[in-house]
Amino acid sequence: MCQNHKEFEQNPSHFEESEEVVSQTDLSWESHRSLIEGMRFFDPHIHMVSRTTDDYEAMRDAGIVALIEPAFWVGQPRTGLSTFKDYFSSLVGWERFRSSQFGIKHYCTIGLNSREANNEPLAEQVMEILPLYLYKEGVVGVGEIGFDDQTAAEEKYYRLQLELAKKAKLPVQIHTPHRDKKRGTERSMAIALEHGIDPSWVIVDHNNEETVKSVLDQGFWAAFTIYPFTKMSNERMVKIVDQYGPERIMVNSAADWGISDPLAIPKTAVLMKLNGILDEAIRLVTYQNAIDAFAKSGQIDVNDFENGLTIDQSQKFNGNTILRGGQEPDAKKKNTLLIK
Amino acid sequence: MLEQLNSLLWEILDDHLTVAEASWLQEQGNATPLELMTAFVAAPRFLAKRTTKPTVAQNIELNEILEGFSVEDWGIVRLGRVWLLSCLDSTHREEYCRHIETLFDTAEMNELVALYSALPLLAYPDQWLFRATDAVRSNMGVVYEAIALRNPYPYHHFSELAWNQLVLKGIFNDKPLHLIYGLEERSNEKLVLTLSDFAHERWAAGRWVAPQVWRLATRFLNETLLDDMKHLFESSSEYDQQAAALVCYHSNHEPALQLLANYPHLQKVVNTHHITWANLEFSDLNTYVSKP
Repeated sequence: MCQNHKEFEQNPSHFEESEEVVSQTDLSWESHRSLIEGMRFFDPHIHMVSRTTDDYEAMRDAGIVALIEPAFWVGQPRTGLSTFKDYFSSLVGWERFRSSQFGIKHYCTIGLNSREANNEPLAEQVMEILPLYLYKEGVVGVGEIGFDDQTAAEEKYYRLQLELAKKAKLPVQIHTPHRDKKRGTERSMAIALEHGIDPSWVIVDHNNEETVKSVLDQGFWAAFTIYPFTKMSNERMVKIVDQYGPERIMVNSAADWGISDPLAIPKTAVLMKLNGILDEAIRLVTYQNAIDAFAKSGQIDVNDFENGLTIDQSQKFNGNTILRGGQEPDAKKKNTLLIK
Repeated sequence: MLEQLNSLLWEILDDHLTVAEASWLQEQGNATPLELMTAFVAAPRFLAKRTTKPTVAQNIELNEILEGFSVEDWGIVRLGRVWLLSCLDSTHREEYCRHIETLFDTAEMNELVALYSALPLLAYPDQWLFRATDAVRSNMGVVYEAIALRNPYPYHHFSELAWNQLVLKGIFNDKPLHLIYGLEERSNEKLVLTLSDFAHERWAAGRWVAPQVWRLATRFLNETLLDDMKHLFESSSEYDQQAAALVCYHSNHEPALQLLANYPHLQKVVNTHHITWANLEFSDLNTYVSKP
């Protein structure tokens, strides 16, 4: 993969002539999406429980064939074990089914998120039911876990969950904190190493220009979240891929209940293309690397989505469900006034 | 019964498993309840994605032991999971039920399918009635199918109300009704009246209903239903016409037989069994969009 990086040097991109990436204000998705026609994307971090069917349709239409939904904080703090249980069940049940209706293969990671690790009496109970979910089909990792406020409770449950991941032979998906990110990221990695976890089994998420070097140097996977305002912009992402090459780097949307974009990956791919990043590098950071990292779980079979997920007719359901009465998911239908 | 089923299911499994798979599964079947439950969850990690094809003899034997139960086209994981459940010690009711309930409570979609498929094999059948009606409420297609199709549990245990919901939901969602065990036997006047109302709503919307649903009406023809038959006879769909003819023919209801006599060609094909309900047993209808 280092060779790819050399190729970048041999094929000087736009950056070497100018500090600025392509960033005209009139860059519209609709007029540029043809650039990535036929490409497939894998979003390794997106919270579909917070998204609508419009998003599923748009994602499928943009070439997203599979995704990973990490267990996270749903915005409203949970007050009991049952809501955790139902949430985990929906990640392996209803949401997986909902996704399949749109031809997108749905995987998830299961874990106790760092914010709610601070509610220790509840955290204890959650830890007891985690193993019931970790061994399930399609669970590709323990996540997203790590630090938020970097409290002692967060550290305790982070460590306990690293042990669970080891036992279940699952990759770990680490959420790095918004505040004091650099130190939080270093601490997360150091603890993972201390527990004897091979860094090639760990995906460190929400990186930025300040954290990426150390993450890559230590052998971890570096994931980047393209998320407006608080995380990475895709223009900065293009520069990072240009600088570091595609090895062990992956892009995700982390789209959730906040202002975020479920098309972050295809849009970033367009921008990389416009800036002369090679197709193979784009493929690695928007598709293949995520598969390679999470397939260590043994739970990803690319045959399930590589040539498009077949929408199993027997799974179609017309009742009070997303696809009522013979509906076909079709983004183009939105341009008509008629609702049939 | 359970012991016979347990060994027959194993025989079918054994025909499809590799040596390593078989030895793993057998070990889990003899393990403690908690290990067995973990194996139920973890089965896809140890068993390959393959479909089972029982032999004709095995199918016959299965039907003799438990009429209406079928493992045709099941994946190995599903069959393995159902077999594991049949190994669970049911001596102590409370403990046994707690284990099964835990599996239900934390199940993902394919585990739910296995659990509902296994209902006719579980001890204390009354205990699972609420779960079973809940599966009918599910909007996950495969979960509904696991309880409703080729599964004798609802036939034996559902109340009339629960049964009617199961059938109506199947009709509403274009499921292959002929795979519901006991479909015609458990049909009832109330179900047929609701079916008629439902058909009228569909017709008003310019839609239609699957032709075979009318077999439910055979024993319950009244004036309203007879009007529905007239509507079907006049339908532009040949299948609707055949359905009306079959209902009238099998009804032994004088006004219906007179109605059928108005359509000599249809009368002939049903009298001579050239057309039977089997001709109208479609599996992939979409009555919201197009006619077959």
